[in-house]
Amino acid sequence: MANPLLSVENLTISFGGIVAVRDFSIAVEPGTIHALIGPNGAGKSTTFNCISRLYKPNAGRIIFDGQEITHLPSSAMAGLGIARSFQNLELFNELTVLENMLIGAHVHCGGSFGDRLAAHPPAVMREIDAIIERTGLAPYRETKARNLDFGHQKLLELARALAIKPRLLLLDEPAAGLRNREIAALDTLLTDLARKEGLTIIIVEHVMALVMSISDRVTVLNFGTKIAEGTPAEVKGNTAVIEAYLGKEVALHG
Amino acid sequence: MDLELAILFLQQGLVSGLVIGSVYALLALSIVMIFKTSEVPNFAAGEVFMAAAYCALFLMVFRALPVWLAIPLTLATSFLVAALFRRGVLTQVAKASGSPVNLVIATLGLSYVLKGLVRRTGYGDTPRSFPALVSTDSVMIGQASLTRLDMAIFVAAVVVMAAVFWLFAYTKVGRSMRAVGMNPKAARLMGVNIERVHMLVWGLSAVISAIAALLIAPKILMTAEMGSVVTMAFAAAIVGGFTSLPGAVVGGFVIGIVENLVGLFISSRAIVVAPFLVIMLVLIFRPQGLFGGRFAIKKV
Repeated sequence: MANPLLSVENLTISFGGIVAVRDFSIAVEPGTIHALIGPNGAGKSTTFNCISRLYKPNAGRIIFDGQEITHLPSSAMAGLGIARSFQNLELFNELTVLENMLIGAHVHCGGSFGDRLAAHPPAVMREIDAIIERTGLAPYRETKARNLDFGHQKLLELARALAIKPRLLLLDEPAAGLRNREIAALDTLLTDLARKEGLTIIIVEHVMALVMSISDRVTVLNFGTKIAEGTPAEVKGNTAVIEAYLGKEVALHG
Repeated sequence: MDLELAILFLQQGLVSGLVIGSVYALLALSIVMIFKTSEVPNFAAGEVFMAAAYCALFLMVFRALPVWLAIPLTLATSFLVAALFRRGVLTQVAKASGSPVNLVIATLGLSYVLKGLVRRTGYGDTPRSFPALVSTDSVMIGQASLTRLDMAIFVAAVVVMAAVFWLFAYTKVGRSMRAVGMNPKAARLMGVNIERVHMLVWGLSAVISAIAALLIAPKILMTAEMGSVVTMAFAAAIVGGFTSLPGAVVGGFVIGIVENLVGLFISSRAIVVAPFLVIMLVLIFRPQGLFGGRFAIKKV
């Protein structure tokens, strides 16, 4: 077993007496897709917000590539190679698709004073164009983010996160609101990123077909606590998981 | 009033309006660029303008520094004071409470501090005149008369506006400024140094106010109250939609021209109400401002 790229150890966070996540631990292997699933309010997005340093956990440690990041500011994430997308879009609405991508590549646009001023550094542009092509956003390159339809806004969130050139990608419900054809394309894209390019992905998702198809491991949260973990097949047959999703009665009788 | 005189007044009003309007436009730009990035209306903009004028006056008249040294020194001082105010005061206030109202009150505090400082030096006790850097010989444009100084004001202001637009639209740092204004949380996650962007915006905004001050100071009597001209800049910003840089510029010119036309056609005593009339008309018929785009409804 290789060293995990990300490990979360005994994470606990509460808001005004309500414990959102309790004593939660996961270890994510490099180059794998690890899904985080559970009913609404289970604490999945809260966990994401702790990892990307938007929330300050009450207890626990977050270790990325051997370095503890629990107390780093969120502005350090891009530099470390941690990128994320948001469930409720967090785009730069009045910027074009290209400009959104360029902000994503912000940490790669440094260098000399001239480079800092330059709006479109050629090396960065090549990579951005490749990502735009790959995510199917090419026809919308100069469209403002707010004028895209929801599916393309979701794709832009993903594309912008890729522009960071991350080693760890956190995706919060990337398939929500997408049509079946778009979900199939997302499936291929994420699988390629992990299998062929070695990107490590943690995904929160309610579209179970996608989760079961792409994930190497699945962790199930309910009421802020981990109730199961394993391969997709293992989790699917787990009684506690079925209870959490469908209720106890159904599980007993069904 | 016969037609010939009306045409003459119209030309004079337009030309003089463009000159004074370019100064309003610069001040409006300095207010709008801060509002765009942090949603704080900077109520100290007028006093930054006034203090910069006194700084230049002090260096040039009382320290007898040459112009080529006094002007860069004034601009650099303005930049530093504003950037440090952002870092030392606003950031702390934001951390302590996070309520935007407190940030606005902090800018009011800065305006009183600057006014107090200028009064303290004693230079603000009597009205003073600022040496003109360009001759005040008059030139005719059509039938309108204006001075070489007026033309220099207009040209310099337009050059500064062009530079600001270029910075915002075509540079990486400008893009970061726009991104921070739209979504600071996401910008931070992309590795944008939010604090540095805010400091830069405040510094640049003060430099623009200072340039406006250097341009207009020779035409007016300097007092510690000269910052009240910022009312016109706020009017210009509102007319332009308050978040649009081109809007601020157009708003500045509209206010300048309306003011001059009212002065010529109606009465010089009516000048003071003209800008407010324009604001009211804009707020009634196009509440988002001329360049404000559509209204965005925030989800609750």
